[in-house]
Amino acid sequence: MKNVLIIGSGISGMSCAVNCAEKGMHVILASPFPSERAQSVMAAGGINAVLEDNEEDDTVESHIKDTLKGGAYLAGEESVRGLCEGAGKIIKYLEDIGTVFSLDDKGRPAHRAFGGQSHKRTYYCGASTGKQIVTALNMEVRRFETAGLIERRLGMCFHSGLIKDGICYGAILYGESTNKLEAVYADAVVMATGGQNVLFGKTTGSTQCDGYAAGKLFEQGAVLKNLEFIQYHPTTMETAQKRMLISEAVRGEGGRLFYLDENNERVYFMENKYGPEGNLQTRDVVSREIYETGKDVYLDISFLDRKTIFARLPEVYELCLKYRNIDITREPIPVAPSVHFFMGGLAVKNDHETSIRNLYAVGECASIYHGANRLGGNSLLAAVYGGGVAADAITRREDGEKILFEDVLKKEQEKLTQAADTESTFAYAHIRDDVAKIMQENLGIVRDEKSLIDGMEQIDFYIKSAGQIKYDNSVLQYFNYSLPGILILARAVLTCARFRKESRGSHNRKEFTEIEAGFSYPTLISYDNGNYSVRLDKEGEYES
Amino acid sequence: MKVKVLRQLYPGSEPYWEEFDYDGPSENSIAGVIDYINFRDDIVTSDGKKTTRIGWECACLQGMCGACAMVINGIPSLACETFVRDIEGDEIEIRPLRKFPVVHDLLTDRTCIQESLKKASIYIEKYDPASEDHEHQYLAAKCLKCGLCLEVCPNYSTGRKFYGAAFANDCYLVSSRNKDKSKEIQKEYGKHFGNACSKSMSCMDVCPVGIPTLATIGKLNRGKFK
Repeated sequence: MKNVLIIGSGISGMSCAVNCAEKGMHVILASPFPSERAQSVMAAGGINAVLEDNEEDDTVESHIKDTLKGGAYLAGEESVRGLCEGAGKIIKYLEDIGTVFSLDDKGRPAHRAFGGQSHKRTYYCGASTGKQIVTALNMEVRRFETAGLIERRLGMCFHSGLIKDGICYGAILYGESTNKLEAVYADAVVMATGGQNVLFGKTTGSTQCDGYAAGKLFEQGAVLKNLEFIQYHPTTMETAQKRMLISEAVRGEGGRLFYLDENNERVYFMENKYGPEGNLQTRDVVSREIYETGKDVYLDISFLDRKTIFARLPEVYELCLKYRNIDITREPIPVAPSVHFFMGGLAVKNDHETSIRNLYAVGECASIYHGANRLGGNSLLAAVYGGGVAADAITRREDGEKILFEDVLKKEQEKLTQAADTESTFAYAHIRDDVAKIMQENLGIVRDEKSLIDGMEQIDFYIKSAGQIKYDNSVLQYFNYSLPGILILARAVLTCARFRKESRGSHNRKEFTEIEAGFSYPTLISYDNGNYSVRLDKEGEYES
Repeated sequence: MKVKVLRQLYPGSEPYWEEFDYDGPSENSIAGVIDYINFRDDIVTSDGKKTTRIGWECACLQGMCGACAMVINGIPSLACETFVRDIEGDEIEIRPLRKFPVVHDLLTDRTCIQESLKKASIYIEKYDPASEDHEHQYLAAKCLKCGLCLEVCPNYSTGRKFYGAAFANDCYLVSSRNKDKSKEIQKEYGKHFGNACSKSMSCMDVCPVGIPTLATIGKLNRGKFK
């Protein structure tokens, strides 16, 4: 029986676990928290698919076309084809395992329109699609747990891969309650660790998604891809601890973006530039326009009557009142763009295997389907679909040899113990916070050469000193040992952004405002002993 | 404002109170207050004693994940959804959930919630719905497994026999989404909830997502899922 170690228990991790268990493999599903805490529960919008009850002229081909176009033609056609062709089955599967979809008049899962798409094809579960899918998949995981095929390990954090000569044999995990490292050997390791929010401090996502796993594996030889492509959501609201996402539904219901000029007059800049439908432009366009105003921007929906607002935007009303004491029926919402989704991550081939043999990546930590920008409704789809694809690939793989890494484990444990042998209270959080400031300031919506170089130099300074820093014992050791990996990832993101001298999808360069044909390929970056090598994937190395 | 926190170094160690001064914004949530205290090089108590950072956990920071469940001024609450501006008086008292083993400070081990569901085989397996209330199922499926309902419940203690409202609501979800399993689920529900719930319904007062547990009990007690 094959043993699979899956790290991360959000939708992509659970999807992979269930698919592996269905094929008779034994799975260890390791994560710091139960699945209810995964960022997947925050995905509100929906999941795209073309089914028989969609609009008559909608086709899978059209979904493929929209996805490729949305990604500014950087995603591989073959992988996107697989994703879109598999989408119908995924909705059916999710329905079969009991996901509580919103229903249409015929009692079938309901679908609606979503930005950037030519047809209405986004299936949804009220305003909590991600949460409802998590609940259903969680029950499936439980089913296989009782059958002894899935073993959940909670309170476990990723430390490093057990990798030798380009092959992965398992991973070292850190146990929060034991405060010890543990080697877990497996025929295949699947990373399902989410995006890189912590690099940017306050974002719309979870504080648990820090990009460390991608950074550490990069340091251990894994290739990363398309790191410069980071999706900004244009309308988010500042709160003390995070950026709250103000749903696109507000603009869908007629919400108007404006700023105040020197005479305190409202300037409806989107409408002035793009006409009456200006507020409905795509996420990247609205984000860039807000950025270019250089002013405080507001989103107004107060002109609608209260009843309509309560009926159509109840979550937005509650959110603004609860977190900022703003009554959207009376006053506008202060909004600004914020980091929302990472198209880049571990480079994977179409079967979700990384550049390291037997090491796979799924969900937001993998870069495959979204190219230079993601279409709304495709991330949940990719999470469920990718988990299945990885499981299929693992089944096909012949068993390899086993190698023990006990000496490596011992060394890593000693390093950890030594670094923790201190009374230092140096706050790891200060450095994380500094990294976020550097990234926000130097890698914003519109990037320029000078600030990117400046950002790289600042991160390099921290990378040099990170190894010398003693641990702060009043926090989990994970927060301490993860710092160098996060810094290296930050440096890699800046490097990729500097390398791409064009503007495409979510990547905007001040000096290179147009799409350049020479850059019509994904970016690949590798690491070797402090050197970062970037290249374009002209041969389609990761598109097969 | 004074912030009193019940601290505990490690599982099984003696808990102790520490008091901190808070002069941050009243718009902050309690999650923001803890961050405010934690985010300095030297953490000092109100009487000037150096201490360590307060252990706690969070993920979504907007009431969607349940990580930051704790007891705030005697009420089981999510720290990210409780605000300084709504606190009565000039003291905030924070303690970990009492019904779960403390891992460190405000961090508790709530795995028993998942374990009870696993032990009783609470999973849908195959969608074959009874004609039940879709809205109710939607809300039941939103359960955060945060443990607030168990913390406040007068009948729930160790979770060994009586599994509490989080369990009952998952029983309802399974029974209503797969009618073939409803009989089997009914037995587990009776054994681990129905026979011992004294119906104080305090679980509904603290549920962050507003699950109508009373309706759950009514439907499961009637037991008609056909």
